[in-house]
Amino acid sequence: MTTEKKEQPLNDFEERRRAALAMGGEAKLRARAEKGVLDARSRIDRLIDPGSFYESGLFGRSIMPGDEATTPADGKIAGYARIDGREVAVISNDFTVKGASSSLTNMRKIGQMRRIAAMRGLPMVWLGESSGARLPDNQGSRGMGTMLGNDPTQYQRMRETPWVSAILGYCYGSSFLYNCCSDFSVIRKGAVMAVSSPGLIELATGEKLSPEDLGGWRIHAETTGMVDMVVDTDEEALDALRKFLSYMPTHHKEMPPVRPTPAGSGEGMRTIQDLLPASRTQVYDMRKIIQRIVDNDSYFEMKARFGRVAVTALGRLAGRVVGIIANNPMVKGGTLDTDACDKIIDFLVLCDSFNIPIVMLVDTPGFLIGAEAEKRRATGKIVNFMNALQLVTVPKISVIIRKTYGQAYLNMGGGRNSDEVAAWPTAEVSFMTPAFAVTVVHGLRRGDPGFEEKLAEMEKENEVWGIASMYGVQHVIQPQETRDHLIRLLDVHQLRLSNGIGQHLMRAWPTSS
Amino acid sequence: MAKTEVKSEITGAVWKILVKPGDVVGVDEPVIILESMKMEIPVLAIDGGKVTEILVKEGEAVNEGQTVAIVEV
Repeated sequence: MTTEKKEQPLNDFEERRRAALAMGGEAKLRARAEKGVLDARSRIDRLIDPGSFYESGLFGRSIMPGDEATTPADGKIAGYARIDGREVAVISNDFTVKGASSSLTNMRKIGQMRRIAAMRGLPMVWLGESSGARLPDNQGSRGMGTMLGNDPTQYQRMRETPWVSAILGYCYGSSFLYNCCSDFSVIRKGAVMAVSSPGLIELATGEKLSPEDLGGWRIHAETTGMVDMVVDTDEEALDALRKFLSYMPTHHKEMPPVRPTPAGSGEGMRTIQDLLPASRTQVYDMRKIIQRIVDNDSYFEMKARFGRVAVTALGRLAGRVVGIIANNPMVKGGTLDTDACDKIIDFLVLCDSFNIPIVMLVDTPGFLIGAEAEKRRATGKIVNFMNALQLVTVPKISVIIRKTYGQAYLNMGGGRNSDEVAAWPTAEVSFMTPAFAVTVVHGLRRGDPGFEEKLAEMEKENEVWGIASMYGVQHVIQPQETRDHLIRLLDVHQLRLSNGIGQHLMRAWPTSS
Repeated sequence: MAKTEVKSEITGAVWKILVKPGDVVGVDEPVIILESMKMEIPVLAIDGGKVTEILVKEGEAVNEGQTVAIVEV
């Protein structure tokens, strides 16, 4: 008799556990697998250290009468896991359960993960694929009163810990919201992020759109800049999240992890100057210069398809994580545009929030000017960029490779906008490009008598020796010395007085600006 | 096979055309070179693939956003 009483609850436990782990059922799971798309639990397994998942809310179900049986884990799987031995909090949306739509129970799970991550210093991982608010749960004034808006900090980002997000299917509702709050976002080709689905848009406005045209990878990687990376498969997306987190501390009061310097790092420095064309009118790919400077296999570019006149990349120098901001003359000659401003600001905020020193590599003729630039709010973007740069409290080291002109000289760390400025002997520094300056200063245009002489004079005045002689740059270095120079100065500039931790003055800067 | 448009990101004049229909280009390989802002600025193929059409001629002015070539990915 006693044994039977004990066994019943234990049997219930096992049965309920099996049912919860079954997700939306075999047929739905098989259909996904046939398309080469992982399910919500397989995604977690692929992401984390083997066997480290500790689930929270396995027995959560819908509170709506009649829905209990069809809502295993209520469509959002939550828990703690380890990545590279470090604890993280995870939400993985299970699209096979009511499209992972948001409900009272699963929003509580999200709230718990967010709170614990912030309080205990765990990175937050979002695996996105969701259809939006669940109906009829959220319908009507009673639905709205019960479900939405009950957490006054739901979308608040104070950057206590890094957040990463993968867009792995249709991401409407909570998946787009938390993606756009994140510090790093990767999209798998074929996935979609949008405020609402094409079906709802057609009902509301009559506009017919394919999901891809509404919010596919090209839109977000190339036009909106809302994602940082594009990959082909779920597996690659999960690997990208792991990789990004390897550059991050687990929370904002910690330094990023230091790794051993890979063998052969810096060997390419001997011939780095060969990457720079002989003529100042020819361009080159700055990414190749960066890859020579940083530790081998440590280059991790973000937003590679957006604002391409600028490069933002994480990397390591002698094992320590750095954030690199550079102009890329290969695209538009390196002329800074408004997309590049947004991209750089996002990256400055990221680095400053997580105690990552910044290296700037400079070669830009200035900001893109003209009517189109003004319409895109160039003036405001340039000022936001400067404000962010001056709020940075981690070390900033800049190296002028070639051109630096006018306002862009300041935005790229010139003057006192870096802790140290170095220049290669190839640097040219001035207010505007000499050909235009001859016209402004002397009233001469190309072809006028005397133009070429004045141009030669001005080009000479732009050489680095003038600014070096008045200590406007602190160092003139040979190209091949750049890696050693940066390693030494990042050592000098460690934040010793605060154990490497910055002030995080931009912790509340808007995400996805 | 999807067709992608290679677009100029800047206003300028076509200085050199580097590929012809049938050529295969890699990701971020230059397709044409523009003269713009007193610099030689390449227009790059964002996606690698086979060039099927070149839509500009040397010396021609192109605008920002103008399609200069089609690449079959």
